[in-house]
Amino acid sequence: MSSIEEKLWDYIDGSCTPAEQETISLLIEQDEIYRAKYLELLTLDSEFAAIELDEPPMALTYNVMEAIRAEHAQKPLKATINLGIIKGISLFFVFTIVVLLIVSLASIHWSAGSAGSLLANFKLPDLAKYLSGPVIKGFLFFDMILGLFLFDAYLRKRSISKQS
Amino acid sequence: MQSKLSDIELIDQTLAGDQSAYADLVKRHQRFVFTLALRFAKNREDAEEITQDCFVKAYRSLALFQRQSKFSTWLYSIVYTTAMSSLRKKRVATSSIDDEDNAIQIEDNTASFDVNNAENKSRSYYLNQAIGQLLPDDAAIITLFYKGEQSLEEIAQALGIEANTVKVKLFRARQRLKERLERNLKHEAKELI
Repeated sequence: MSSIEEKLWDYIDGSCTPAEQETISLLIEQDEIYRAKYLELLTLDSEFAAIELDEPPMALTYNVMEAIRAEHAQKPLKATINLGIIKGISLFFVFTIVVLLIVSLASIHWSAGSAGSLLANFKLPDLAKYLSGPVIKGFLFFDMILGLFLFDAYLRKRSISKQS
Repeated sequence: MQSKLSDIELIDQTLAGDQSAYADLVKRHQRFVFTLALRFAKNREDAEEITQDCFVKAYRSLALFQRQSKFSTWLYSIVYTTAMSSLRKKRVATSSIDDEDNAIQIEDNTASFDVNNAENKSRSYYLNQAIGQLLPDDAAIITLFYKGEQSLEEIAQALGIEANTVKVKLFRARQRLKERLERNLKHEAKELI
């Protein structure tokens, strides 16, 4: 059960039902205790409402806007790339692949031979012919360059993370 | 001079890339946000940090503001969560919003006033002093209700609790503020005698 004060605060705040409001206003009119308490709370309410807000520092707005600007400047490039452009490029490639697939499938003469004869006619290319000395050397050289490049990228990443 | 545009119009302009519109929003709400932050932090430096943090967070999430409530209600919910996490980080002794029986706080933030100045010693001075001595949650709920132009439902939304709970908490906060005020005034009367 709520106390007199609780009822009176509800009455002052206007958070009670119309029926309760009517009952309380009658009590305030007729009951001396209710009236005294009501006047006391009403005074407190107006005092609480008159509390002054604190004044923030003069440079607060400037500091907030500076912090926002700094945050924008620090944003990595990949975060500022428009996702729409990336999606557009992906869509273009998907579309091209699908069109190529449809064109190649449409140009196949399915009736040209059975699966058995196709397999029988299929010959594996002679790989030994292509694996000559200069090709292998070139391949190994390319691998070495790629390895060095990846190792350099790894070391750079490590030094950046150490610095931060 | 502050903009006469509504909060929503300023938000739309900000989202369209006009940062000066957001500066207007900050100017409009900074006084209240700072006061609310001060209720939690109890010193101006921390309150300033919380206020700045709040406005930056609000800017970042502005596009997520769904406009189903007032901008101020949404902003105060950010203030509340930012202030609470800041308090936790700084390990300042504070109580949960549900904790009713904790001992009365902390540093008197009116200490910077000249206590010997008779003009300061008005009833409103003691009221400010009493608010400074309340628990952060009590002080915040009273500030939100009286100065934030927030209804009980809006306060509930900002604090993430039920409207009925806010009603009970507001009642208790008022009781404590009244007791504190009376105690301070009585203490002062004794000193004068």
